Amino acid sequence: MPVGESRYMEPLQLAGRLIMENGGETYRVEETITRMGKAFGLERVESFAVPSGLFISYCRQDGDNETSVTRVRKGSRHLSRVDAVNAVSRQVEKGELSCEEALARLREIAGKPSHVSRPMLILAAAASAAGFAGMFGGSVVDMLISGSVAALVEVLTHVLERLNLRDVVSTLLGSLFSALLPMLFHRLTGMGAVELIVAGALMPLLPGLAMTNAVQDALRGDMVSGLSHGLSAVLTAVLVAGGALVASAVMSLMGGAPV
Amino acid sequence: MIAAELIRTYVTSLLGTWGFALLLHAPRKAWIPASIIGGVSYTLYIALLELGSPEAAAMFIAALIGSLLAQLCARRMKMIATIFLTLSIVSLVPGLGLYRCMEHLGAGRNAMGLQAGVTAMIDIMMIALGVGVGSLVFRTAVTRPWAAKG
Repeated sequence: MPVGESRYMEPLQLAGRLIMENGGETYRVEETITRMGKAFGLERVESFAVPSGLFISYCRQDGDNETSVTRVRKGSRHLSRVDAVNAVSRQVEKGELSCEEALARLREIAGKPSHVSRPMLILAAAASAAGFAGMFGGSVVDMLISGSVAALVEVLTHVLERLNLRDVVSTLLGSLFSALLPMLFHRLTGMGAVELIVAGALMPLLPGLAMTNAVQDALRGDMVSGLSHGLSAVLTAVLVAGGALVASAVMSLMGGAPV
Repeated sequence: MIAAELIRTYVTSLLGTWGFALLLHAPRKAWIPASIIGGVSYTLYIALLELGSPEAAAMFIAALIGSLLAQLCARRMKMIATIFLTLSIVSLVPGLGLYRCMEHLGAGRNAMGLQAGVTAMIDIMMIALGVGVGSLVFRTAVTRPWAAKG
């Protein structure tokens, strides 16, 4: 455990990293670090955040600068963690939490499993896809098929996560199966409006959060983060599109009229 | 008839957004309000189209209203705006348009694919613009009493 003014660095790093990893905006990361630092009584607190890393520095009483670089990996998006870190930061600002207490709370947030269990996530994926398939004009049958496909894809994502294959592979395979399964089902049974079912099942894979963050960042003048989030959104959209494209190519190769 | 269609649209988009709220691990107490806003955005978009509004304008207005409601809700519930902002627009993201674009391109119908793709891109830009303008408007109005913290 660092002593003196060095001990303030860890809570600042952890708060920033948690917000960035879990889908918070860049300005929120920088603002939280600066506000918490000032509340700890530090002077000249500076922070610079981009989606892949954080730079924090503040001035110690002996006049030296304390600086740190934190690498941020893309995490799974837990908006409730961002909200929890925000609450800690507010309490620190009000003087209700000391540096040690804040660090303990942040570690608790980082280690706490999500309040949404795995079966709930599968149910959520199904509800989301079914809802969107219906929203696009699909019938109850279309909603049921879309929901089942999305539930299967969510299970697949979980398996890939266990194999440490995340993001690129899981998005690509997820969209491939989301498109292929309804097409196969339609070919075998003749049931369902394929277009609506696939679009519903693909919705949870589309990069809505990255897109919103990109716009927010750019409008606030954080161009590097805006570009980075924007590129990440484009990459995800391309992967989703690629998966769906491969699925229709596979169906064409299997012969028969395209669906 | 149109009313029945709008109710159907509202219920299904609300269900879709609710699922999304869980997928993003949003805090439990945000699930219902966020889904209600998500439903409002998409239903408004469809209603505007029914009234003869052009596609892009309908998308912009729906995203703008969704973004304003989201920020108002976040402030009232003392939660971060990110949660509600993200969920207010997920239903508007043109999943069907993007899929149609890929489907046409995959089948070699490039002109139709590009047309669907361009429409989807314009929709995305309109959502972005709607959210952006919504944020600016809200920040300007944030001192007004109706937007005060609850």
